[in-house]
Amino acid sequence: MDILFLLIPLSVILVLVILGGLWWAIYSGQFEDIETEGERILHED
Amino acid sequence: MQLENSQATTYNDTVIRQFSIMAVIWGVVGMLMGVVIASQLVWPELNLGLPWTSFGRLRPLHTNAVIFAFGGCALFATSYYVVQRTCQTRLFCEKLASFTFWGWQAVIVAAAVSLPLGYTQGKEYAELEWPIDILIALVWVSYAIVFFGTIGKRKVKHIYVANWFYGAFIIAVALLHIVNSAAIPAGFMKSYSAYAGVQDAMVQWWYGHNAVGFFLTAGFLGMMYYFVPKQAERPVYSYSLSIVHFWALIFTYMWAGPHHLHYTALPDWTQSLGMVFSLILLAPSWGGMINGIMTLSGAWHKLRTDPILRFLIVSLSFYGMSTFEGPMMAIKTVNALSHYTDWTVGHVHSGALGWVGLISMGSLYYMIPRLFGQKQMYSVKAIELHFWLATVGIVLYIAALWISGVMEGLMWRAMNADGTLAYTFVESVKAKHPYYIVRLLGGTLYLGGMLVMLWNTFKTASSGKPVVVNIPNVTAHA
Amino acid sequence: MNSASLIGLDEPTEWEKFSHVVSDANHEWESHVVVEGMHCAACAINVEKALKSVKGVTNAEVNATSKRARITWSSDITKPSAWMEALDVAGYPALPANEIFNLDARRKSQRLMLWRLLVAGFCMMQVMMYAYPSYIASVGDMTMDIKNLLRWASWLLTLPVMFFSASPFLSNALHDIKKRQMSMDLPVALGIVITFLVSTAATFEPNGWWGSEVYFDSLTMFVFFLLTGRWLELRMRNRTSGALDVLMRRLPSSVERIQSDGSIERVAVSRLKLGDVVRVLPGEAFPADGVILSGETRADEALLTGESKPVPKMLGQQVIAGSYNLMAPVHMSVDQLGAETRYAQIVNLMERASVEKPRLALLADRIAQPFLWFVLVAAFGSAIVLWSGDHGRALMVAVSVLIVTCPCALSLATPAAMITISGALARRGVLVRRMQALEALTKIDTVVFDKTGTLSQEGMSIGQIRVKEGFDMNQALNIAAAMASHSLHPVSQALVIAYQKLHGETHAAPLTQVKELSGAGLIAESEFGALKLGSARFCDLAQPSGEASSVHLVSESGWIASFDIEEAAKADAVSSLHDLQAAGYEVVLLSGDSQPAVTSFAKKVGIQNMHGNCTPQDKLTFLQKLQHAGHQVLMVGDGLNDGPTLAMANVSVAMGQGVPLAQAQSDFVVLNNQVSMILILILQAKRTMRIIKQNLIWAFAYNIVCVPLAIAGLLPAWLAGLGMALSSLLVVGNALRLSSLPNEIAREV
Repeated sequence: MDILFLLIPLSVILVLVILGGLWWAIYSGQFEDIETEGERILHED
Repeated sequence: MQLENSQATTYNDTVIRQFSIMAVIWGVVGMLMGVVIASQLVWPELNLGLPWTSFGRLRPLHTNAVIFAFGGCALFATSYYVVQRTCQTRLFCEKLASFTFWGWQAVIVAAAVSLPLGYTQGKEYAELEWPIDILIALVWVSYAIVFFGTIGKRKVKHIYVANWFYGAFIIAVALLHIVNSAAIPAGFMKSYSAYAGVQDAMVQWWYGHNAVGFFLTAGFLGMMYYFVPKQAERPVYSYSLSIVHFWALIFTYMWAGPHHLHYTALPDWTQSLGMVFSLILLAPSWGGMINGIMTLSGAWHKLRTDPILRFLIVSLSFYGMSTFEGPMMAIKTVNALSHYTDWTVGHVHSGALGWVGLISMGSLYYMIPRLFGQKQMYSVKAIELHFWLATVGIVLYIAALWISGVMEGLMWRAMNADGTLAYTFVESVKAKHPYYIVRLLGGTLYLGGMLVMLWNTFKTASSGKPVVVNIPNVTAHA
Repeated sequence: MNSASLIGLDEPTEWEKFSHVVSDANHEWESHVVVEGMHCAACAINVEKALKSVKGVTNAEVNATSKRARITWSSDITKPSAWMEALDVAGYPALPANEIFNLDARRKSQRLMLWRLLVAGFCMMQVMMYAYPSYIASVGDMTMDIKNLLRWASWLLTLPVMFFSASPFLSNALHDIKKRQMSMDLPVALGIVITFLVSTAATFEPNGWWGSEVYFDSLTMFVFFLLTGRWLELRMRNRTSGALDVLMRRLPSSVERIQSDGSIERVAVSRLKLGDVVRVLPGEAFPADGVILSGETRADEALLTGESKPVPKMLGQQVIAGSYNLMAPVHMSVDQLGAETRYAQIVNLMERASVEKPRLALLADRIAQPFLWFVLVAAFGSAIVLWSGDHGRALMVAVSVLIVTCPCALSLATPAAMITISGALARRGVLVRRMQALEALTKIDTVVFDKTGTLSQEGMSIGQIRVKEGFDMNQALNIAAAMASHSLHPVSQALVIAYQKLHGETHAAPLTQVKELSGAGLIAESEFGALKLGSARFCDLAQPSGEASSVHLVSESGWIASFDIEEAAKADAVSSLHDLQAAGYEVVLLSGDSQPAVTSFAKKVGIQNMHGNCTPQDKLTFLQKLQHAGHQVLMVGDGLNDGPTLAMANVSVAMGQGVPLAQAQSDFVVLNNQVSMILILILQAKRTMRIIKQNLIWAFAYNIVCVPLAIAGLLPAWLAGLGMALSSLLVVGNALRLSSLPNEIAREV
């Protein structure tokens, strides 16, 4: 299963990328006060 | 270009109009191809004895047309629509966006020409040869730039959940395409995969299942999270759940791939890993389905009068069904029966016709009138007709293939008392014939519905005209 | 706030109090305000739109849960009054939020905790995926190089969990070692470190004495679950502080001050001095604690007391900083400012009380210390005993012992419950001054009430009505009420209310030229000629005998009707007292008022055991007698002049708006006027103690069962971690049940 030598490291990198995305999301306040955000698209115009 | 965009006061809907119209057209083409090959399975004479019209070459044309041409254009159209409106800003880099349209059409045309001509890499949903693969990569990188660039210049701080789904879909597909299509060219339209044997199989189905997970699921969930609330005029049932749903889904999808390779040369432990993760996947999938359907809570009555909402909600039911069926089929004992049978095809089509098809149609029916300055489609009755044609078609299709598939699997494993096989292979093929006819009927109805949509779209576009929509609140900041 | 008072905000020194500079060059500021009137998520969007429509406002973010808005604006183009006005006009008045720094700090800590948790969570999921194949692969199925690949990948992803997510535990443990003390983080940190070292060693050198087993999945899992418990606790804590914010009104930033020469000048509230006289306009908030000097009005004290009905404020009555003036302009004296105001004291009280622990919890804490030492010793001991065999296994058995003990149940059990119940009570207008009192409440059997201000309310009610023979009583009441509606006097209000109670809306009686003669009564013209409504003297009647006072209605031809004035009981007094007695509590009424008044009042509210003419000493003696007889007494008073009695009682509650918070000796303060809160408080105290006991019993039982199992080597590390995690989650979840109080008395066991 030599292909795992590609896929496993790839998955580690992917996890780190995902964590990076999560960090950005948390610190730019994406997860704060989310119940309003569901409403927002209904008030676009 | 940058300056002009940041001061722009209108949305760029031109490219959306283009993709929307082409989505409908390619939908008809792809489904027509489906009907053609379904007919060939019933009447093999329809292969016409010619290489260009043989089943082997037309099948990938069908899969590519429905997934990448129809599905792809619908995703482009809706993602560009949603990202602009939820970010309250105009699309980033107009020229690049235009390139994504023309480039994608070029990919589709190239596929339509090269596949019947027999040029293929032989990998499922990744048949296109290396020059076209490169074009796909170019278009895709441009897509990523346009989409993320638009998010980067958003005027709303929060990034709406639909955009997270679209974003994950774009990045994942880029990754999958590049890894899986790695090949060594050996001529203008000939190449050899960088991987071999069971290694290639693993990569192929890592790609294949993630294509389903990210292209056909995450992308269309992005569609769902925007158009269901908009059409129902209610916010998503639980916005927090949608965020949890997103992260859980993208995380678990990555490793379900091996379930395509049960009882093959793949090591047992890899197969088991795929099985377990496929089962775990059930939870986030159903979380999303419940979130979408429950958005209608308090507004169920709208289903009685609004056919577009019906498309959207029924699509979610099929999504739930397929994401239950899939994990069941990933269980090794079940898979021992279902692998290589029509049941797999039935499963694919309940997801494709039921989930992907219906959610795209519902979303397009929402967008198209607005893109042409109309309040609704030219004929609401026609939407209704389309809905019934599509739903009946789906039910006939999947019922036929369930029966055919299970029967086929049972016939293959049936043994006589002395240990010999009870049926020959040919006998099982013959037994499937009547079900193939029913499947053809189902597919034809589905195509019929799509033709109604084509007519309706044409009438709507011609009786309206392309409108330019102002971005709200922008003028105040100028 | 009205436009005039908004102008006060346009001074940089004023807006600096609730804003900070974003960009010096562009004169960009970011201000924080509290927004009223938002009752749903969609409102938040309307508020943002209203703000963004103002030229000069570049950004606005509104949080619907905390009711706060953050506005970014340029002082070159606009001023705070402009966008505050826009909010007013849109129907969402706002007030400056004065403690932005607190909010920022809280938000930072929450984000960091969430980030640690998510890093642990995602790495845990991926590591478990890498670990899974080795559990299911049969011998020889997996080649060594694939096995190693999976281990190295697991090790890599455990690093962030170890050095980032788990760092609070590790640094606390280090601190414990330096200070030579024991806390629950020490065994946990030890367990984590040992597991990491053993697994790392096995990854890089599988042939060492530590064995070739790795435990990255267990490690990441228990860090994740430990953090989940901490994260939930932090959220609960922040919700309680958030409840504090909701309870508090912001002071206005400017008010009209009456100068010594009689002229009026609008000044910033921060420049007020004690003794100033200020004029508060309708729609403005009272800037300080003080007394009404002229004018009459009604005030909205809802956020302080939980009462939504406007409170009449007359000459000489106290007003509270932060409450709203609803009706008419009034002049008030400035008696308390800033930190001495009532609301500042409430905040202070709440912040202190939430840190205390009841006796049971203190007991648990004392047991926890030696228990943790025992665990350390047991872990070390089991490792030594098993050392002769597989070293790696010996270490992991020690780890199991260290991890399985859920000190969390012991240490989290009580604080979690305390924080939750004090927040829940605060939201209902009940302040806890002493947490120990919650426990004492569960033992009481007698409730002693004071009368005035506790069971009776300010204001009066109409008792008996006597009318002239042949005259319709309803018509008499109608006329009297119609006249009385022109006056704010408590007796007049009582008449109006009496009529409204019987007939709903006031009918307009055919009256003209209604006039109030201050301090005397009312006159009017009617079909019966000139009317007078007032005391016996005002109406030229002979003084009636008896103790009850009355107000009389006379016409030119003589007496028409008399209305007896009684002390009004609080609206829910009767039902609440009934409920208390039905629940098995002995209810006593003690009052300094005359015996007849007390008797009639007691009859009205349904108390049999009552004593009038009580001096403070009498009350004290009575209380001591009860206690000598073996009773546990809850004393409910108004906190003003029953200090000694409140202090002597087993548990005391001060009730009402007059409670002097800083000096009050009571265990609890009920800010609103609901007598029903007494029984609710008792029942919630019982519930809280029940839940704390459940948590502690669980904590003990769990440890008693699991620690021996771990010592015996029967508990694999991952199971130990899972058990510990589930145990702490159970405890925290149980405590969270306290966050919702019933609206009415339910049948509590």
